[in-house]
Amino acid sequence: MAFVSSGYDPDKPMENRISDIGPRKYDEFYPPVIAKNKGKWLYHEVLKPGVLVHVAEGGDEVYTVRCGGARLMSTTHIREICDIAEKHCDGHLRFTTRNNIEFMVDSKDKVEPLVQDLESRKFDGGSFKFPVGGTGTSITNIVHTQGWIHCHTPASDASGTVKATMDEVFEDFKQHRMPAKLRISMACCLNMCGAVHCSDIAILGYHRKPPMLDHEYLDKMCEIPLAIASCPTAAIRPAKVEWKGEKVNSVAVKNERCMFCGNCYTMCPSMPLSDKEGDGIVLMVGGKVSNRISAPMFSKVVVAFQPNDTPRWPETTEAIKKIIEVYAAEANKYERLGEWAERIGWERFFEKCELPFTHHLIDDFRDPAYYTWRQSTLFKF
Amino acid sequence: MAKHATPLLDQLESGPWPSFVSDMKQQAEVRAKNAENIEFQIPQDVVEDLLGILELSFADGTTHWKHGGIVGVFGYGGGVIGRYCDQPDNFPGVAHFHTMRVAQPGAKFYKTDYLRQLCDLWDFRGSGITNMHGSTGDIILLGTTTPQLEEIFYELTHNMNQDLGGSGSNLRTPADCIGMARCEYACYDTNALCYHLTQEYQDELHRPAFPYKFKFKFDGCPNGCVASIARADMSFIGTWKDNIKIDQEAVQAYIGGEFAPNANDHNGRDWGPFDIQKEVIDLCPTDCMWMEGNQLKIEDKECTRCMHCINVMPRALKIGDDRGLSILVGAKAPILDGAQMGSLLVPFVKAEDPYDEIKEVIEAIWDWWMEEGKNRERLGELMKRQGFQKLLKVTGIEPTAHHVQEPRTNPYIFWNEDEVEGGWDRDIDEYRKHHQR
Amino acid sequence: MEYEEAKTAIVETLTKKSKSKSKFYFNDLAKIMGMKPRLAKKIVNQLVQDGVLEYWSSGSTSMYGLPGVGKQAAAEHED
Repeated sequence: MAFVSSGYDPDKPMENRISDIGPRKYDEFYPPVIAKNKGKWLYHEVLKPGVLVHVAEGGDEVYTVRCGGARLMSTTHIREICDIAEKHCDGHLRFTTRNNIEFMVDSKDKVEPLVQDLESRKFDGGSFKFPVGGTGTSITNIVHTQGWIHCHTPASDASGTVKATMDEVFEDFKQHRMPAKLRISMACCLNMCGAVHCSDIAILGYHRKPPMLDHEYLDKMCEIPLAIASCPTAAIRPAKVEWKGEKVNSVAVKNERCMFCGNCYTMCPSMPLSDKEGDGIVLMVGGKVSNRISAPMFSKVVVAFQPNDTPRWPETTEAIKKIIEVYAAEANKYERLGEWAERIGWERFFEKCELPFTHHLIDDFRDPAYYTWRQSTLFKF
Repeated sequence: MAKHATPLLDQLESGPWPSFVSDMKQQAEVRAKNAENIEFQIPQDVVEDLLGILELSFADGTTHWKHGGIVGVFGYGGGVIGRYCDQPDNFPGVAHFHTMRVAQPGAKFYKTDYLRQLCDLWDFRGSGITNMHGSTGDIILLGTTTPQLEEIFYELTHNMNQDLGGSGSNLRTPADCIGMARCEYACYDTNALCYHLTQEYQDELHRPAFPYKFKFKFDGCPNGCVASIARADMSFIGTWKDNIKIDQEAVQAYIGGEFAPNANDHNGRDWGPFDIQKEVIDLCPTDCMWMEGNQLKIEDKECTRCMHCINVMPRALKIGDDRGLSILVGAKAPILDGAQMGSLLVPFVKAEDPYDEIKEVIEAIWDWWMEEGKNRERLGELMKRQGFQKLLKVTGIEPTAHHVQEPRTNPYIFWNEDEVEGGWDRDIDEYRKHHQR
Repeated sequence: MEYEEAKTAIVETLTKKSKSKSKFYFNDLAKIMGMKPRLAKKIVNQLVQDGVLEYWSSGSTSMYGLPGVGKQAAAEHED
């Protein structure tokens, strides 16, 4: 493979350089019916799971067909999306914040052929390429992070846990059965490069072992002051260590202060922390970002640890499924999972969802912990 | 025949949900065949090695990636994340496997000619694997080698009129909801404001000089579809000041069952006939709605614009006409001191080009945070450390009861000397004339 | 501080510290120059443009250093 230059000259990086131009402007990509009716939409309706109609003041309509997808996506797959958009939508499409793909058409008769086409496409392995759904009170696509496919500090995989979970809740991606929206999110370590802390259900990768110390190489590969400064809990200090009969410069970690964030590994490759037994999943529930009826809420930890049981994480998907079924059966119409749990009380939540309550679930991290203990006699037996 | 056996990953090909494993396998095949005779600039079997190393992680339960500090293209401090694999001999195709973040268009609308151009570029100079999209919103190009970074940037900017996104201590690529483009709830043009500020602050986006990351997100209404209140240092949420517009005939159509409630999105099970009292009026968090005969009444002054009634009856109830946005600041994920929601700073501001009032607030906050923020301290943490009063002071915003959930429960007020009559300098001799030692 | 003066001060300070540390936060640089961050940024941008400084990124945080200096640059075989 011979190197092919784009025209860039490494000796003169500033020559003809274009920079600071930002993204393409949004209105370049609007479908005509969107461009024409922007700001003039009157109302919308979900015709069936995955199909929306928006009606504008002048009577124009735009029909949206939403389908799920893995956010980890090949160019081959994107080209297929383009084929579909060109066949049905004059080459227009959009993605949603939750990794769904939306195809828009301007009349009702174009909807069914589009839906049929999407539903007919399958991967060789048998899964749907473009399952239609994810609207209203369905369980829509999971937003997630990288995981083992590309990240250096994950405590679990993202694409794998998401695939396993979506397979389990697939029927609910395609029907409106939940009392309200139910949003699942996945982040593969506590740094949450994809924030999951306000999701109805959050799957979170978590490490439980402090970093290992590669004393022999640490001072050769890392700058010790940077490793020390990287620690958010100040658990790392410089240390002279006896290693294979030699005194070497290295670091020491106060293990009981480690919160397993992996920031030191980012700065210093001689401090790896991932571990098969140590790493696994935390489940959090009851968060939301909408202001509807009640204020936005944080998710709460309800399962402290589950192992990375690859490739399908059965403990995790079972617990999620159980929580969803109890919620679906017991919550009021319009009630989010967190609102329901607060109404019945968390003690009831654990009982109904058959989740064990352990000391790990009581907050002991800094100031906010106190506000989560019960300061009243109002509880249920 | 695949290069690496992947018995664990193969199990993720079954089941109905789109399988990323199947997709990667098809990509590996397309590259192997190379029907288009592409002169691949990174190893042809890159996707096979990516599958191989992922299989290894599924087997041993650990990651095989190392971080690299490389930031990418000349003059930019963000947009590229350096990655190296820790098994380069077994998986040489992904030995160097850097990510590029490409700034996404507003509301993620695309035309296929653009996407195809991007695919051509990424097949030629990268792995052909992407994320559509990353958590912050960017298009993520997953996996290329160092020499390709400048080439890709050159082609993006010269041939596609397209720039990179943010990473590191930058303004991160701002993201917006679909807004007025296709939503009747949007109280301002999220696409326009997002684009305007993205262009205005390109230097902040590409050249890191902040203590840490900084995020803008734009939600058109309090439903919050891009979750700005939970994850943006500055969250711009559409709102209105006047009355919800009521179409009484349409209200009756909901009551009579002609229109399905909540845009028909509860239709997957039988919730019984629509009951406006139970489903709307009783759930109103401020108790500001009632029926008078067959007229729905709203005491708008008491409404907190939670969107519930509008969401349930979108054909009958419309957002008001005096529209703008609220600015909330300081949201962040839990690391380090616990998660924070955005706190209300500006209850209402009009969102009109050129958005000068909004930019004044942004720049005042940046001046403060750049000067006083500790390394890796998010805005929300600085607010906690120095207090909400300080935020009001630096932005020149007058305190109002809107700023708090409730007033303080302790009286430990740190009075300023100039707030106290006569100041703090007192004459002890004068005092002693009236008080013996 | 003018550009040349700032350049000398930064290169001197960073070289002095390079034995133990090769990467610095933006605020460290602003302090060396004794300037407000927004003004300091203009000079720092120019120093990067001129190849006097280069960026380093942890992905979430960015730092600055003298080009090619530091142990990790060597470890990454990119120097």
